[in-house]
Amino acid sequence: MTDNIPASDETARVEAAAQETTREGTGALAVLNSSVGRNAGLVVALVILCVVGAATAGDRFTSTDNALTILRYAATIGVVSVGMTFVIIGGGIDLSVGAILALSSVWCTTLATQQMAQDSTWLVMVGVALAVGAACGLVNGLLIAYGGVVPFIATLAMLASARGLAEIISNKKTQIVQVPEFIDFFNKEILGVQISIYVFALVAIVGWVLLNRTTFGRRTIAVGGNPEAARLAGINVKWHTVMLYVLLGVCCGIAAVLLIARTSTGSSTHGLLYELEAIAAVVIGGTLLSGGRGTIVGTVFGVLIFSILTNVFVLNNRSQSEQQLLKGAIIVAAVLLQQRLASRNSST
Amino acid sequence: MKSIRNRFGVTLVAGLSVLALGACTGNDSGDDDKKLGGGTSQADSGSNDEAGDKVVIGFSAPAADHGWMGSITESAKKVAEQYDDVELRVADGTNDVSLQISQVETFINDGVDAIVLLPFDGAAMTPVALKAMDAGIPVINVDREFDDPNAARVTILGDNYGMGVSAGAYICSQLDEGADAVVAEIAGIDSLPLTQDRSQGFEDALSECGQDVDNRVAAEFTVESGEKAAGNLLQAAPKIDFLWNHDDDQGVGVLQAIKNAGRDEFVMIGGAGSANAMRDIQADNTVLKATVIYPSTQAADGIKLARLLVQGKALGDLVEVEVPRTVQLYAPVVTKDNVDQFIDTAFES
Amino acid sequence: MSEPMTAPTSAGALLQMTGIVKEFPGVRALGGVDLDVRAGEVHCLLGQNGAGKSTLIKVLAAVHQPDEGTIVWDGQEVSLSSPQAALRSGIATIYQELDLVPHLSVAENIFLGHELSTAGFSQRLRANRMARELLTRLGHSEISPTRSVGSLAPAGQQIVSMARALSRDTRLLILDEPSAVLDQEGVANLFRVIRSLTADGVAVVYISHRLEEIRQIGDRITVLKDGRTVATGLPVAETPTPELIKLMTGRAIEYVFPQRPTVAADGEVVLDVQDLSLSGVFSGVNLSVRAGEIVGLAGLVGAGRSEVLETVYGARRASSGTVTVNGRRLPRGSVTASVKAGVGLAPEERKSQGLLLDEAVYRNVTVSSLGAFSRGGFLNRAAEKRRAQELTTSLDVRPSGVTRAVRTLSGGNQQKVVLARWLLRECRVLLLDEPTRGVDVGARTEIYQLVRSLADSGVAVVVVSSEVEEVLGLADRVLVVREGEVVHEAAATDLDESTVLDLVMEGRA
Repeated sequence: MTDNIPASDETARVEAAAQETTREGTGALAVLNSSVGRNAGLVVALVILCVVGAATAGDRFTSTDNALTILRYAATIGVVSVGMTFVIIGGGIDLSVGAILALSSVWCTTLATQQMAQDSTWLVMVGVALAVGAACGLVNGLLIAYGGVVPFIATLAMLASARGLAEIISNKKTQIVQVPEFIDFFNKEILGVQISIYVFALVAIVGWVLLNRTTFGRRTIAVGGNPEAARLAGINVKWHTVMLYVLLGVCCGIAAVLLIARTSTGSSTHGLLYELEAIAAVVIGGTLLSGGRGTIVGTVFGVLIFSILTNVFVLNNRSQSEQQLLKGAIIVAAVLLQQRLASRNSST
Repeated sequence: MKSIRNRFGVTLVAGLSVLALGACTGNDSGDDDKKLGGGTSQADSGSNDEAGDKVVIGFSAPAADHGWMGSITESAKKVAEQYDDVELRVADGTNDVSLQISQVETFINDGVDAIVLLPFDGAAMTPVALKAMDAGIPVINVDREFDDPNAARVTILGDNYGMGVSAGAYICSQLDEGADAVVAEIAGIDSLPLTQDRSQGFEDALSECGQDVDNRVAAEFTVESGEKAAGNLLQAAPKIDFLWNHDDDQGVGVLQAIKNAGRDEFVMIGGAGSANAMRDIQADNTVLKATVIYPSTQAADGIKLARLLVQGKALGDLVEVEVPRTVQLYAPVVTKDNVDQFIDTAFES
Repeated sequence: MSEPMTAPTSAGALLQMTGIVKEFPGVRALGGVDLDVRAGEVHCLLGQNGAGKSTLIKVLAAVHQPDEGTIVWDGQEVSLSSPQAALRSGIATIYQELDLVPHLSVAENIFLGHELSTAGFSQRLRANRMARELLTRLGHSEISPTRSVGSLAPAGQQIVSMARALSRDTRLLILDEPSAVLDQEGVANLFRVIRSLTADGVAVVYISHRLEEIRQIGDRITVLKDGRTVATGLPVAETPTPELIKLMTGRAIEYVFPQRPTVAADGEVVLDVQDLSLSGVFSGVNLSVRAGEIVGLAGLVGAGRSEVLETVYGARRASSGTVTVNGRRLPRGSVTASVKAGVGLAPEERKSQGLLLDEAVYRNVTVSSLGAFSRGGFLNRAAEKRRAQELTTSLDVRPSGVTRAVRTLSGGNQQKVVLARWLLRECRVLLLDEPTRGVDVGARTEIYQLVRSLADSGVAVVVVSSEVEEVLGLADRVLVVREGEVVHEAAATDLDESTVLDLVMEGRA
């Protein structure tokens, strides 16, 4: 019935402009709407880092071997960060990822587990690591969703107790893996690239598909964006929240497997400060800490930026303290940029 | 497996501040007058110190989160500077094994001539050390041992058991024959093998002169924990004759507790050998009369051995034509009489 | 005060805004607005949603800075740099979304930002006393100054906001849809307060959709359309309603409710609620709705109407009673089960409870039906968009385009998106809580027709509204709720507005 209104020039212009900005898939706007476009700032940062790396370290930086070194280092923290992206988009936070990783690594390298693995297959160890991670995530999720404990506190408690349990189980000793098949599998190379790097790539791809192409991902965005609206729309918000933490727990288990393969050990000191590394990578990747918005591509960029930064500093014999300072600056810059974009979007 | 001096408790808070501000626990580098010996500038011709082929050495150690560890890296750098033929690539200290592995991988990619490695966790660093050895790069393992002997060409170790023995023997030497003395001990983190080794050596040496440990408490290598542990110990033991404290970093707290309690009836022996402790010994105005050295110059020795190894030289005063496989350092007792000899190489806590 | 004015004049004006332009990226929200307000008058600002009223008052409150134009305040040209500067000048704004701190007390909220203190120590007793005086002046002495604001109903919170404005030396008070959260008595009280303020020389800018209120309280009217002033300084007494509507919409419309079906619905009972109670809120509610029937719940704000809907829906856990849909009993306190059984809710707070504001229209439409668009958990986004496009086109959601964020739509169009969500699910029971709140005059009629056509297609509809006229016009049958109990039930045609008002107030006709 509004059709009969003679639309004034003004209305027509506003509507045309509005439609233009929402149209997907054509011209330059398509680029801006694509995930690469949204992450333009990250791409620029990455390119700058690579230019600096190449300029200061030359071939040492640009060699394939160095690229693989960067990726092997990025793999563990990257897997955790992908899981963390889901939890943060879903409106939560998890401080216990490093501790869960440590507990997983210890549990999966106990003599008993290794004995089982020797008797049957090394996959037992992978299964144990994932199961321990999932169980810790389940506890986190249940406490938060059904116990009403705020995520910060619940996972802070998990941080303390999971590492404590890891210390008790391992008696603070480093446990050495005696199952060579396990180590060999993850250090195997396909086309010159180690399995562990493929695992990271796989986790990132599965994460992207899960977030962007499945009902689980859509619900995650809804739950984080407006939990009340999600609940009234019929989504089981509590159960979904539990599943998010379980997902992250499983990611910690995968990361534990990668770290065990890399070090041939399980230890209660594995994964120290991973929670901060992961949260930092997720945040500079453009995911809002308040939830409801975020991308896997951004997180992967965030992980790569930090890993390459570390690598460039190592190649140039620079101290880690300077690097930490720069990391802090990058985090602040990324968040400031985010806020500017967010306020621009909401002011219309 | 050797020591892991790890502070679990500060993970979160420290982590936040580290991310935001960068590490603030840097070691005091005011030890410019440290004399570590050697160097190409004053080398006699024909000696090992004479400049040879250029040697590129990669160096990696845990985070310098206490005085001893800070000194490890400082003294390694110092020694490297003394040699015109040594180029040292220092990867900054880290307690993240994954990062330390990637540092070593970078050294391998770079094709350095040798790697000096003080692992955060010896077992966890074994695979990457093996990889370096496979790539033909000799690895010098310092302080915390790998779990595979093939992962290192040379291993340099301190002597934790020997520290205990030296401390115990010193007490025996100060005792009148037949007297029964009250001996107390403040250990480090009890669950660590290094602490257990030190205590075992101490007990064994004391039994040589018929003594035993009457009071024993454990601290955590920090000043705060030392103060707390010593406070409790002094309450429990109204009279003490000898007190051995495993670690001079925590010893700062121990001495403070003793001062607070107004106690001076006993002789205290320190451990590790910080410059602080040695200055107290030199001044002779506290109960601290001696300390047992756990050398913080191990990595510096590692640099020197790496250079000799790559240049194909042998240890000068040995007959052997190759650098030895294992070097275990001695744990000497420092007293007022010989403190001048050691104070220059001591670490600042 | 009410002499005819057709053009702005600077003589005697407390505030004069001329040629105000405000642009946001991609949108020109204000394209040249004039407004003059005199001391002691109630100046009404009229316009459909999206006409620029909210932006204009935000410019006035200095939340936004104008790109062009001049503001003359009390005879001097000013540029207000911040909301604080506006407050200092004596311009106070009470927004639709109240800006109170829920965990602070009433008195603390009233004096927030200009706390009463001596040498840094707050004078709590004096603040409480002064807060009580202000609340009494506003006719709400029953609100305790020490109570926490979060525990007050929206109407009470609005009173606190008013008290906050009065606690400063306010010369211009801007009220953005103040009656939306108020019941009849509250509105009457509000008008009393406004009259006493204007008698003291305070100028009031009053924004409302309800023309009848403007008739009662307004002195002059400024009408905005598409970010421009289309008329300013119109005297209320001499401007007929049809002309106002014509100015606002650019066309002449009538406020019409759709025709009821001639034959009363005799379909099967779809929704059957027996003896439903929520302890402390309502008790013993019986309600049955047939397919094709619209049942209205009338009552004051706080009478328990919304709570009844939310409990039926499972968003609140009933303390006793049963809810049966199509003969199947629903488990208590499970929204998921209700949605599965074919129940849908358009909640009262559309923005905070109904929509994912930053998400695309199509995602808001399909959020409750994701299963229908997925195979093995993988979504078919093309199908989602296609279905959402079909639905939003049939509901005439404007602007079209299902990938734009819901935030950018007007209130009426947002409500249509919520309805589209339940249309998509082909739900059997639709619960509508204040379906036309924040919806402008033109879009209201569309919503009414939409609801009726849904009922005609066999959906059982329950409508809650504060506007008696709406309940009577839209529903077939009306239940009057008072203090948590159903006090009367009758066919809508057997009731008139005054009967319902008596029931609502007194509990008897």
